[in-house]
Amino acid sequence: MPRAVTTRRKAVTTLIAWTIGLLIFFPILWTVLTSFKSEADAIAIPPKFLNFDWTLANYVTVQERSNYFRHFWNSVVISFGSTLIGLLIAIPAAWSMAFVPGRRTRDILMWMLSTKMLPAVGVLVPIYLLARNTGLLDTRILLVGVLTLINLPIIVWMLYTYFREIPAEILEAARMDGATLRSEILYVLTPMAIPGIASTLLLNVILAWNEAFWTLNLTAARSAPLTAFIASYSSPEGLFYAKLSAASTMAIAPILILGWFSQKQLVRGLTFGAVK
Amino acid sequence: MSTKASRTAARLMISPAVILLLGWMIVPLSMTLYFSFLRYNLLMPGMESWAGFENYHYFFTDPAFMAALRNTLVLVGGVLTITVIGGILIALLLDQPFWGQGIVRLLVLAPFFVMPTVSALVWKNMFMNPVNGVFAWLARSVGLQPYDFLTHAPLASIIGIVAWQWLPFAALILLTALQSLNSEQMEAAEMDGAGPLARFWFITLPHLARAITVVILIQTIFLLSIFAEILVTTNGGPGTASTNLTFLVYMQSLLQFDVGLGSAGGVVAIILANIVAIFLMRMIGKNLDA
Repeated sequence: MPRAVTTRRKAVTTLIAWTIGLLIFFPILWTVLTSFKSEADAIAIPPKFLNFDWTLANYVTVQERSNYFRHFWNSVVISFGSTLIGLLIAIPAAWSMAFVPGRRTRDILMWMLSTKMLPAVGVLVPIYLLARNTGLLDTRILLVGVLTLINLPIIVWMLYTYFREIPAEILEAARMDGATLRSEILYVLTPMAIPGIASTLLLNVILAWNEAFWTLNLTAARSAPLTAFIASYSSPEGLFYAKLSAASTMAIAPILILGWFSQKQLVRGLTFGAVK
Repeated sequence: MSTKASRTAARLMISPAVILLLGWMIVPLSMTLYFSFLRYNLLMPGMESWAGFENYHYFFTDPAFMAALRNTLVLVGGVLTITVIGGILIALLLDQPFWGQGIVRLLVLAPFFVMPTVSALVWKNMFMNPVNGVFAWLARSVGLQPYDFLTHAPLASIIGIVAWQWLPFAALILLTALQSLNSEQMEAAEMDGAGPLARFWFITLPHLARAITVVILIQTIFLLSIFAEILVTTNGGPGTASTNLTFLVYMQSLLQFDVGLGSAGGVVAIILANIVAIFLMRMIGKNLDA
């Protein structure tokens, strides 16, 4: 039973919590607002909060000058591609570890996790050279492959923690009723597994979308996703706040919305089930 | 209860994942290890020769290495301190009843989903810029000189940016842990006359210990590899003032093309990360048995 709280205390808490929440959110809000300003308004002193002439010009310019949607599409292909391939490989593995655990299942899980702890920079040189020598440098295929591998342990683990919660008795009951392996998978397991698979997909798309070590080091103009494209605004000649803001807003908006939907799964996925 | 056939099937189903990860681990790792013992520069192809421990010797005696090691530790330590303490405070706050809980929770969580290059550039240009930044305006409006954050305090500025990105993660995990706290125990303690501080210290904090450990370990894994934030804000400078180990290896191998030296640095980075990983794996392994 929740404890009774006075209205006064609740009001004070509300005030403090909203202040802190808005402070933490402010840089994002500011970026979104700036994206609708003219460049002159964007650097105006004192800053203009809402009292400026709203314009969509920056969004148009960003697209025209740099073919923004090509990079956006690269991000989509790389993040969804690596996640889907990862799921394809991980679902059978996680399924069998959860339902037919062997003596070595635990060791395999722990070992998979250990590959995730390998710092990227430790294998930067060989991966870069292998990519260069095979002509895969600056291709989406390479990025899909690398991101699949670096996120595979997380995908397996997330799926495993979800699958493990499906009661084994339900399988036995289905078998008693004469279900074949095929119908067991199709009619019993799949419906129960879909929410877990969906959350895994969501979280991994987010992680892959924001991955900024391999995407920065292995891509150039052709296959650069948004992480690398935005980085090109760091050069001094790219110092256009309103355009930077427009490009940034488009880059973070879709993933921010996905992220808000996945906040519950986030904890479980990123802690490998250690906190639920 | 598993039959022999189902065990064979299970093995077949696991093998693609295992083989891929095994390849991903062994091939590049052994190459890094091999390169680290070579004199190998991309600008002089065909001149590779055995170097023994020369690269390691050079790497360890390079003043940039000690700077990078120190910066790595300061960066990780600084961000951890801010995010853990801030995370606990925010989690405690969000656990209280108030109006609009759901919305505030979304606001607090948002920075975690912002890609590193965006958050770094937004902070660098729109907030920390000494001429046009919001901080410069705030400083001037109270009569202070604007401070050039990224020139005079590059590492501290990067710590600030990275902490902003990771604070939501810590807060969310600690909040989740906090919500599993047994409220009866709290009430019993309150009835026995324990003040809010005593309750926090003797009940809440021990309850959060496990989640705090997880936050520290997982963040450390990611924080050891901070790269994009440094690349787009300071490029490791001025000098080596904001170069961490990851960035140093990147500079040596992809900017100076010294594959041998970069690989030696990579091996050192792997060893460092492994020390952390061992502790993390123990924590997660324990949970697996439970």
